[in-house]
Amino acid sequence: MAPQKADELRSALERVWLNSKPEAMSRVATLIRFAENLRSGTRDEMSRESALLAAHRLSGSLGMFGFNEASSCAAKIEALLGDGRTPDLATMLRLIEHLRMLMEKTPESNGEQERRDS
Amino acid sequence: MPKTVLVIDDDRDIREVAKASLELVGGFMVIVAGSGTHGVAVAQEAKPDAIILDLMMPDMDGRQTLSQLRLLPETKSIPVIMLTAKVQANKQELVSEGAAGLLVKPFDPMQLPNQVCVILGWSVSREDVGRNGSAKG
Repeated sequence: MAPQKADELRSALERVWLNSKPEAMSRVATLIRFAENLRSGTRDEMSRESALLAAHRLSGSLGMFGFNEASSCAAKIEALLGDGRTPDLATMLRLIEHLRMLMEKTPESNGEQERRDS
Repeated sequence: MPKTVLVIDDDRDIREVAKASLELVGGFMVIVAGSGTHGVAVAQEAKPDAIILDLMMPDMDGRQTLSQLRLLPETKSIPVIMLTAKVQANKQELVSEGAAGLLVKPFDPMQLPNQVCVILGWSVSREDVGRNGSAKG
C-alpha cells in the first residue's frame, strides 16, 4: 500500500476514535453497572442484555483502532455474559478493569498499531 | 468508474471505519446504512456492486436483510459479504443462505479492501490500489 494512503487512513482512524471514545467508555460503564448489580445480587435481565450488547460492540470495534488486546478482553466478557450462566463476579471485575486500562492507552501505544507502524 | 460498496451496520464506528478504509485504501465509492430496512431501500435505489452486511442488528438482523436482498429483483444478484464476530460465524450456513463470504470483526482497516476483493474475485491488488488509487474490476 502506498505510504500516503496508509497515513491518510491512520489519520482518519484517529479522528473516528477520538469521536468514538466517549461512547466506548460509556459501554464500559454499562459493564461496570452490570458488575455492580451482580455484586449486590440484583438479577436484572435488561442490565445483562445491555452489558452483552456493550461487550459485543467493544469486541467488534476496538480492534479496528489498534486496540487488539482490549478487543480480545471485551470478547471474553461477551462470552461470559452470553453463556447463560451467572458470570463469576471476580472474573468479571478483573476483565472490566483490564479492559478499561487497555482503553486508556492511545492507539499508537497499542501493540498492533506499533506493529503496523514498524 | 470506481466500484460502489454499500455498508450496512448499526454500529457507527464500523460504518465510519469501513467507509474510510474502502475509500482511502481501496478507492471504492462507499455508501452506508444504519439498519437492515434502510440498507435494503438504499440497495434498491443505488444498486451497488457489493454489500457488506452486519449479522447482528436490532429489528431486521443480517439474515433477514440478506433474505430480503435475495428476493428483490433489483438486489438479488448483488454479492453480499456478511460481517460478524468470530463467536457467531458459521460461514457455510451463511453462504447457503446467499452470502458471498464472511468478514470477521474486528477487521483490519488496512486489509479490508483487499479482503473484499479476494472474497468477490475482483482483480485488484494492494499495489494496484497504491498506484492508481482506484479498484479495477
